[in-house]
This record gives sequence, structure tokens and C-alpha cells, in this order.
Amino acid sequence: MAMDNTVLLVDSHKELCNALEKHLTRHGYDVKITETGQIALSDISINKPPVVISGTQLPDMEGVDFLSNVKDNFPAVEVIMIINEGDIEAGVTALRLGASDYISKPINSGALEVALQRAYDRRDYWFKFKAYEKMLKSVEKHKALFQQLFDEVPCYISLQDENFRLTCANKLFKKDFGDYIGSYCYEIYKHRTEPCRGCPVQATFKDGNPHQTEEVVTSQHGKQYNVLTWTAPLRDDSGKITQVMEISTNITQIRKLQGRLTTLGLLLGSMSHGIRGVLTALDGGIYRLETGLKKENQKQIHDALEVIKNMIHRISSMVIDILYYTKERGLNWTQVNVMDFSNQIAALIKPKADKHNIEFVYKFDHPKALFEIDPETVSSALVNILENSIDACLDDKSKDKSYRVIFRVYENEDHTIFEAHDNGIGMDRETRENLFTLFFSSKGHRGTGLGLFVANQIVEQHGGSIEIESEPKQGSCFRIKLPKILPEEIKNGISKQEIS
Amino acid sequence: MAKKILIVDDDPNIVTYLEDFFGDNGYDTCSATDGSEAMAVVKKEKPDLITLDLEMPEEWGPRFYRKLVKEEEFRKIPVIVISGLTGSKYAIQKAVASITKPFDRDKLLAIVKDVIG
Repeated sequence: MAMDNTVLLVDSHKELCNALEKHLTRHGYDVKITETGQIALSDISINKPPVVISGTQLPDMEGVDFLSNVKDNFPAVEVIMIINEGDIEAGVTALRLGASDYISKPINSGALEVALQRAYDRRDYWFKFKAYEKMLKSVEKHKALFQQLFDEVPCYISLQDENFRLTCANKLFKKDFGDYIGSYCYEIYKHRTEPCRGCPVQATFKDGNPHQTEEVVTSQHGKQYNVLTWTAPLRDDSGKITQVMEISTNITQIRKLQGRLTTLGLLLGSMSHGIRGVLTALDGGIYRLETGLKKENQKQIHDALEVIKNMIHRISSMVIDILYYTKERGLNWTQVNVMDFSNQIAALIKPKADKHNIEFVYKFDHPKALFEIDPETVSSALVNILENSIDACLDDKSKDKSYRVIFRVYENEDHTIFEAHDNGIGMDRETRENLFTLFFSSKGHRGTGLGLFVANQIVEQHGGSIEIESEPKQGSCFRIKLPKILPEEIKNGISKQEIS
Repeated sequence: MAKKILIVDDDPNIVTYLEDFFGDNGYDTCSATDGSEAMAVVKKEKPDLITLDLEMPEEWGPRFYRKLVKEEEFRKIPVIVISGLTGSKYAIQKAVASITKPFDRDKLLAIVKDVIG
């Protein structure tokens, strides 16, 4: 569209108008003359001329009122006021009311030219400004939307530079891991002092592709989460990767469920052979019962019945074992003498320690102390932990070191406490935090990753806890605290989830 | 003279079951509760057929089988694997049959009759 170079002239001084018209027409403007303010206003409302030149005194209104009216209703129309010679005050008033300029009589053609040029420029700026304003508003709106998306996504999102320093994090990340912009990712997520092995952020910096890993991370409140992590590169204008975005989804619940199912699967797998044997024997019992009845052989009938009874008993205890893992069953608790119980465990561990020339020390106080536990499950948990202590000694490759496992049992007011202390290989914090994760094993092919997972479940089921202290190369201490008296809700077989 | 079947299984309930079942169908039986013990019984009893469990506490079925086929006198004795392990047919490929516990006794009897009459 060609530029509209219409100029609307409004002034009571007709000759002046005619003279200006001629001058402006010669300079390429399209000039229109109106005599009164009212006519000018109605023309403006229809034709929207870009520039109006107005006198200070119109036949039907004051120039300042005309000016205010135009600027209030048509802010895009620029107004130049013609003032009487020396009446600077009128000029300033006009500027205050939004005139783009004023020119003083007698009109200097150069001044008029400049005033007109500035009016057109101002008008351009005004349109540009409006367009920018509109854009800015929509940018603000989008920005707010993206910020909201960024914050409300139910994932942990962070941006990291090539040194793994956090440069930005979303709301959920800050809630669970703290607002520590500038800290190292591995510090915040894993409490490590150096980058993790197989870091997906590093891989993305290297090849520019997204990478995926699954990690166990620890929140600022000490909770462990299983997260599925994806990374993506952020590039600058030249295409260089400046930051990497890391998105982690919390899949702890899925892993927990999967863990339970896997345990059940493993259990069923290992039981399947036994179950098949029992069912076959049960078949045999029924066959011998039938043939015994036919032959009226009392002894055979009696024997067969015994077999059937035994097999049914074995099947029911297998089913109950399975139910234990699905937590449908409360604890089979009973009051037990701490010392007798501990002696039994020590007797199971000592031969293994002796075999590997590891000194096994056990210290028990309070020979008469009692506590309430499911002895079968707690014993398997403690044996598992003590066997780990022995393995920790075997795994340590230091020379000239004599190894020792101390099994100590004591009590405080409410708890019976078992300590398994070894001076073996020890653990770093990451190993320590992953210890109770299903299938986490630091033992290579020897470990199934099942033992401590189940041990921890057993202790938790008793309302107890396991604390671990460990230093690499110094050894580890597992402290198992079990309540002396089981809480009522556990005795009644109600799990914690059901209460809350 | 009745044909003789050697039953190798570590579960005494299953041994009794098979002894009674084969006995009721006109066979003589003898038994061993482990692979390590089975070889001696073979030598003493010279069975016409062996039913063999795979998973036993001391010596597993396949190991016993390898020892068995090394002896010229016994290598032709047909073996039926009766095991709780699924996929057991791959454990001893030359077995005349592999049966998974729990099994259908009539089918077992049909196989035995087919093999030794």
C-alpha cells in the first residue's frame, strides 16, 4: 500500500489555508481543507488522515479542545498546531496534549517541512510500537504458558551445562531435590562427588542424541526414587550444544510393584519343582487309596491317607509362603528369648566364618531379655545380613589384614538391636543407598540382588529399621532395630498402608 | 518271568506310588533314591527299564545316565525321564520318553508296555 500522504488543514484563516495548500501540494502532499472543528472531526472519523494541521482558534471551538478530542478518539492521527508568533505557551500546551509539534506564524517552510516529517515518523513509530506491544503480549502469554508447562509437568526437569552444573530446574525438581542452581547434578541426585558412570547428559553433549537411563536417586529428604531419565540437547544459534535437558520420571511405584511381582515370580519358579513333586505324590496317594480300597488292604489305605495328609499340609504351607510375599498374611509372631535366638543365628554363621579364617565375635548382654518377632523370617534376614558381612571381608583385596565380623546384640528401652560389624571392603554412598533395591548387587555374578531386599522387607514388616554406616576399605556396620513389643496393628495383621 | 523296572527318585512317596502302580500292572520293581546309589542297584537287579528323576540331592539324573551308557552291559536299558523340571526332554536326549510331573499314569503305562511289553 502506498503511503497515505493526506494532510488535513483546519483553520479559520482561509487565506493562510490556501497558501499552505499550494505549498504542500507542490511538495507532494494531498491536502484537504476544512473550516470548522466539527467538520474536521467527522472527516477524521471517516478518512483517518495521518496528519492534521490545526490553528489555535477555530470558528466553532478552541484549538486545544479540538486537539484533545482528536488525540482521545484517534490516537494514531498526528496533529501539528499553528500558534501565533511568540505564543510559546500555547505551543507547550499543545505538546502536552499530544500534538506531535507546533509551528509558529509566520510559517517558515523549512520548519513546516521538519514538523511534517516528524509527524509522519512519529506515526510510524506509533504503529510499530502498537505492533510490538501486541507481540510482546503474546510472547508473555506464551512464556507464561511454557513456564507453567515446565513447572507443572509431573517429571523432574533440569538443564545442565557441560560441567553437569544445574542451570535451571522445574517446580517438582526443586520440591524434591532443593533449589540449588549451580550445583552439580550428581551431587544433588546421587550425593556423589564425581560424575556418574554412563552419564546420559555427557553422552548427549558428545553425540547430540537423546539418551536414556534408569537410576536410583535420593531426594533432599533422604527418600529414594527410581527414575527413568531422558536427555535432549539444547543448541545455540550456531548449532553448538550449550546445555542438555534432563527429564526424569519417577517410576518408584512401578518398580515397587514390579519388585513384588518379580519376587513372587522367582519364588514360584523355585517352588515349581517342589510343587510338581508334591502333586505327583498326591496323585500317588490317591491311586494307592483307590487300589487299597478295592483290595481292602487296610495298611495300604492307612499309608495312602498319611501321604495325602502330608502332601496337603505341604501344599498349604507353600501357598502360605506365597501369600507372605503378597503381604496377605500377618506375621507369625511369638515371644522369643533374645539370647537363644541370637545363639541360633551365631551357630549358623560361625562355620562359614571359620571356613574363610574370619574371626567371628559375638557379644550378647541381657540373657533374659525377650522380644516379639516372627522368628523364622527375622532369622533369615539376620543370617542374610551376616553372610553379607562375611562376603564383604572376602571381597576386600587388602593384604596383611586380619578380618573380623562382630555380631553384637543389645537393647534400649523399646528396641532390641542387632549389629553386624565387619572390617571388609566397605561401601560408597551410592552402593549404600541402592542396597535394598531389588536386584541391586555389588557382588557381580555371585549376587542375586534379592537377599537384602527381602531382609529389609522383613524388618520393615516388624516395624523395625536398618541403619548402615560404612566407609570404603574400612568396613560396614548394619544396625537392625526391632521393637521389643510388636505394635498392635502389626499383630493384628493390618499393614501400614491400610491404616493410612 | 515279569519284567523289572528300576525307579530312581528322591521322594519316597513317589517311589512307593510307582512301585504299587507298576506292581498292580504285573511288573517287578526295585528302587534307588539317588543317582549315586542307582548304579549299584542296576548292577545287582539288572532292570529291563529305568524311570529316572532329574533333580536329586547327591547325584543328578543326567550324570547317572552318562555312567550307565558307559557300561556295555547296561547301555541298551531304556530310560524314561520323570521329572518336575519343565523342558526336561532336553536333559537326556536318548531317553525313550520324558514325562513332566504330575503325570497321567495311564499314559506312562502305555509307554512302558510299548517299550518292554
